[in-house]
Amino acid sequence: MKAAWLPHHLRGSLRCSRPTRAFIAKPLKQRILLNASTKTFSTSSTSSAGIAAPEIKFPGSESRGGEGDYGDTIFYARLVPESPSYFTSQPTFTDDLLSLQTILRKYAALPVVKPGDAPRVAWQPLMTYRQAAGEAVKSAKYQKIIAILQRLNQIHHSVMPRAVKQALEKFKRDINPFVNAARPIKVDQFGRALGAGRRKTSTARAWVVEGTGEVLVNGKTLADTFGRIHDRESAVWALKATERLDKYNVWALVQGGGTTGQAEALTLAVAKALLAHEPALKPALRRGEPDTMHTYLNTLFNSSEGKKVLLLTHFLAGCITRDPRKVERKKPGHRKARKMPAWVKR
Amino acid sequence: MILRNVAIRHGRKALTAPIQRSYLRSLSTETESIGPSIDTHAQDTQSNEVGINQLHLTQSFVPPAKRTKKTKALATVARDYKLSKLIERKTAKLGSVVDRTYEPYDSLVNPPYPKDVTLELLMASQSHMGHSTSLWNPANQRYIYGIRQGIHIISLEVTAAHLRRAAKIVEGVAYHGGLILFVGNRPGHTECVTLAAQMAKGCHLFEKWIPGSITNGEQILGKCRIKAVGVHDEEIPGFEEKLEEWTSLKPDLVVCMNPLENYVLLHECGLNDIPTIAVIDTNADPTWVTYPIPANDDRYVLSEEIN
Repeated sequence: MKAAWLPHHLRGSLRCSRPTRAFIAKPLKQRILLNASTKTFSTSSTSSAGIAAPEIKFPGSESRGGEGDYGDTIFYARLVPESPSYFTSQPTFTDDLLSLQTILRKYAALPVVKPGDAPRVAWQPLMTYRQAAGEAVKSAKYQKIIAILQRLNQIHHSVMPRAVKQALEKFKRDINPFVNAARPIKVDQFGRALGAGRRKTSTARAWVVEGTGEVLVNGKTLADTFGRIHDRESAVWALKATERLDKYNVWALVQGGGTTGQAEALTLAVAKALLAHEPALKPALRRGEPDTMHTYLNTLFNSSEGKKVLLLTHFLAGCITRDPRKVERKKPGHRKARKMPAWVKR
Repeated sequence: MILRNVAIRHGRKALTAPIQRSYLRSLSTETESIGPSIDTHAQDTQSNEVGINQLHLTQSFVPPAKRTKKTKALATVARDYKLSKLIERKTAKLGSVVDRTYEPYDSLVNPPYPKDVTLELLMASQSHMGHSTSLWNPANQRYIYGIRQGIHIISLEVTAAHLRRAAKIVEGVAYHGGLILFVGNRPGHTECVTLAAQMAKGCHLFEKWIPGSITNGEQILGKCRIKAVGVHDEEIPGFEEKLEEWTSLKPDLVVCMNPLENYVLLHECGLNDIPTIAVIDTNADPTWVTYPIPANDDRYVLSEEIN
């Protein structure tokens, strides 16, 4: 850039740029530095006690005679950041946020549906966004983006502009988990329904078919499989609770775990298979309590204490919910999951 | 009981149809509510799903979707919106013409030129209001006009002069292709700072400054991309090697809206010979920056004008 191209009022402010930044064809020629102007301005101050960098040293307002010296100075190129958010150290995230804010400002007046009526969308999780952007974006900051996306998603679909749709598509998750529907258990051509259940480490598969009430577990009868009466009852609790023991036959395969675990796994498997035959029983099976309830009530009525009137407001799930409890892991510093070594004063 | 139900629901047809195997179990026993312990609960919820024997025919029955008021309204949203826009366009020019309307974003989008900055404008944007007299920094004495109602009043002439000087410097640096960084961390500064950066083709920062971005730029800003541009800001190929070995960029000028919250940034700039401009209030230290602009830092209208 030649000095002659500069407007007059800026010629005096030519500054020797740091050579590391600009790529200059030829080195600057030696110039005789003229005395700086002796004008004093109301804005000039001489205090240099602070942390601020010194003022820009202009070569002097009478340096217009040195035009020819600057004639050879040509800037080829300079380095600039690709994004104006360079100094935020998270340029991709900042640019995304700013562009979304701009879009929202532009289309803020469009008709909007209630938040509950907007189509349900799975947005990109934070980890995926971090990997895509290559920046360690904090969760709270990413939630700002999600908030804007949710507001944009509320725009009525019939008036949603293409720009908004594109912006939303960019942040949607690859798969749509809300489209996934559970596969219902069907009764096959032979009248069988297969239900699967798990408890602790046991897995059970139960084929339930209309019949007279026979039960075979791993080829053996209930009495042979389970020594405990309690286990035998809970295995077919779904049928027992709904009084359909004599209406269905059960053929089951169970593996893993111990006796009680297998029995409880069977509970869930038989219940699921029974629901395939009679879906209306679902609330009934859900409310029925195989274990805790009847053992609790037994102890209550058999106890030597006086009769207590208890209002049982809370019921645990019956045969429908998979019991998520499993053996708790051992932790460092403990003898077992919870047990700790004996406390010593010193 | 079950046979009666069948008759009520399906009349003659059901009775003549052969009784299927699935009805066998329904004929044999009646179901009651489950166990005496659940009676109270069943009564509470008044459910009789247990008692109902759902026939397969009724299971597959799905009532037709009724067109409710809600669905009707949603279908006409697009049409109504277009109509309202049309009416708006047609009627916009009717009626009286309001000459001097006030739009809050006006000073953002069309900021005044340095020559248009008058003392009246500065007063209207409350730039003369300093902080309480007990909180002042004595180094600001030369900028203060007087005291009123317990606060220091900044001289508007001083503000105007310093503002004009700062504008000149920004213009000069931008003309020479310098990189200007606009910093404003307070909630209302985001828009001014981003627009100013857009106009000056510089950088903006409206979140916290990460300490070490200049002194330790290699680590903090090393992953942010840079490019080589020519005289007219067009991207120039052929500098890929240089770009790879270049660690990070430093700004050539920093304009800060709230220096009191950005001491680290201003210190780093001082260490690296980067001139700084900032809005200095009566409680701020003017020696922190190269070109102070004595003005009120708490009002956003002013910051828009400064930018």
